[in-house]
Amino acid sequence: MIDALIRKKLGAFSLDAEISGEGFICRAGRYGAGKTTLMRAMAGLATLDDGYVKIDGSDVSSWPAERRGIVMVTPSSSIPHLEVDSHITWGARLGGRAPPNARVSEVKSRLGIDFNGRVGRLSLGMKERVVLATALLSPSRVILVDEAFSNLHERDAFIACYRELAKSAGKEVIFSSQVESDGSLADHLFVIEGGKTRRAA
Amino acid sequence: MNWLRLISEGALVLLLIPIAVLLYYGFGPLRDSQGLSLLVLRSIALTLVSSALALAVNVLLFTPLAYHLARSNDRLSDALVDIPVSVPHPIIGVALLILDSPQTPTGHVLLSLGINFYNTLLGLVIALVIMSGPIYVRAMQPVFESRDESPEYFARGMGAGPLRILYSVVLPDSKSGLVSASLVSMSRAMSEFGSISIIAYYVLQYPFYGVSAASVTIFNLFSGAVPGGLNAAVTASAALILVALPITLGAHLVRRKNHD
Repeated sequence: MIDALIRKKLGAFSLDAEISGEGFICRAGRYGAGKTTLMRAMAGLATLDDGYVKIDGSDVSSWPAERRGIVMVTPSSSIPHLEVDSHITWGARLGGRAPPNARVSEVKSRLGIDFNGRVGRLSLGMKERVVLATALLSPSRVILVDEAFSNLHERDAFIACYRELAKSAGKEVIFSSQVESDGSLADHLFVIEGGKTRRAA
Repeated sequence: MNWLRLISEGALVLLLIPIAVLLYYGFGPLRDSQGLSLLVLRSIALTLVSSALALAVNVLLFTPLAYHLARSNDRLSDALVDIPVSVPHPIIGVALLILDSPQTPTGHVLLSLGINFYNTLLGLVIALVIMSGPIYVRAMQPVFESRDESPEYFARGMGAGPLRILYSVVLPDSKSGLVSASLVSMSRAMSEFGSISIIAYYVLQYPFYGVSAASVTIFNLFSGAVPGGLNAAVTASAALILVALPITLGAHLVRRKNHD
């Protein structure tokens, strides 16, 4: 369950956004509407001028980014020197618990990861799959996907699959999109425009 | 007519004239076997060894600082880094003398623990670390600053703290930047004179037994403190340049390769 109120000023742009809900959430908005700023503030990568971020009722607003259990995923998040299999389990191993092989295989096959090699050398779409799989297997409770579904082949099917996997792992996902119709792929839709959000579904 | 190119190359040539002069005269008209004597060769060896040791210390000690400065907005620390190299170098040598002097409380403690800076390899390396460390930091900062932060944010979100991120995410992917910064810093250490002429004019312990760093030896040959004279000093300088050149050029080649 995510509950956040973010107020932040960046130069002439001022963000005043609210988001709350659970499950798989889509946040749609045009380029420059504030989606990335909002995600960074939630993840603890940018400071809030005012507001709060609560996960399952706990106020994580003053916690450092590495302790919030919120991971932000972008198309360039991948760690280039790791091999695919090491990368996917990296987050989990960071928490001290390597995921069982069966689980890793399941995630790999459902997300279409049937390739190997150094992640830095893969195509954008492959990198995105790897990063999304890594986030899924990590101990993070909340996954913020910022444009990281953008280079995928058969995107809608992938997102539906990711939604199921996230649900079964008990993780909340918020993904950003430029089109409101992506709301149909999610449990809830928030639209953000000029720094302000409204709930649309 | 590309005036920018012409003026640039001209300025560069001016800068390189002293080096060319030394190489030409040192191996040519003024060549003196005293300048390639065992004393000189051992000095060059000491310079190489001590600079390499200083480099190892720099990498271990200052890489986190370079990363911190690259990723945070710590203006105070950033300003302080340049201080050691903006004072006359001999006074850094004097500072180390005072620190480890039997007449000061700090010296009492250090000497009672057997830590002696004066005319030792330890003192030499410490002086080199102080003088070349800031160069290393300044060279590594842009290596870190120019990286996309997304993988670092990603690792943080999954629970990695900043130091863990430096070692597991950033450094494995910054190898050529690290090599380039290391070579620049080592070149700086090899050219040091002022601070080491005070704190470690000679290195008295095994395996050096009275050898000085190359810069000091060349000065000795020039001033007559060691019999030699101008010709020997010039020849020794040429020899040192030949040894130092690959290191400086190596830094540049690695940087170029990194950008391609």
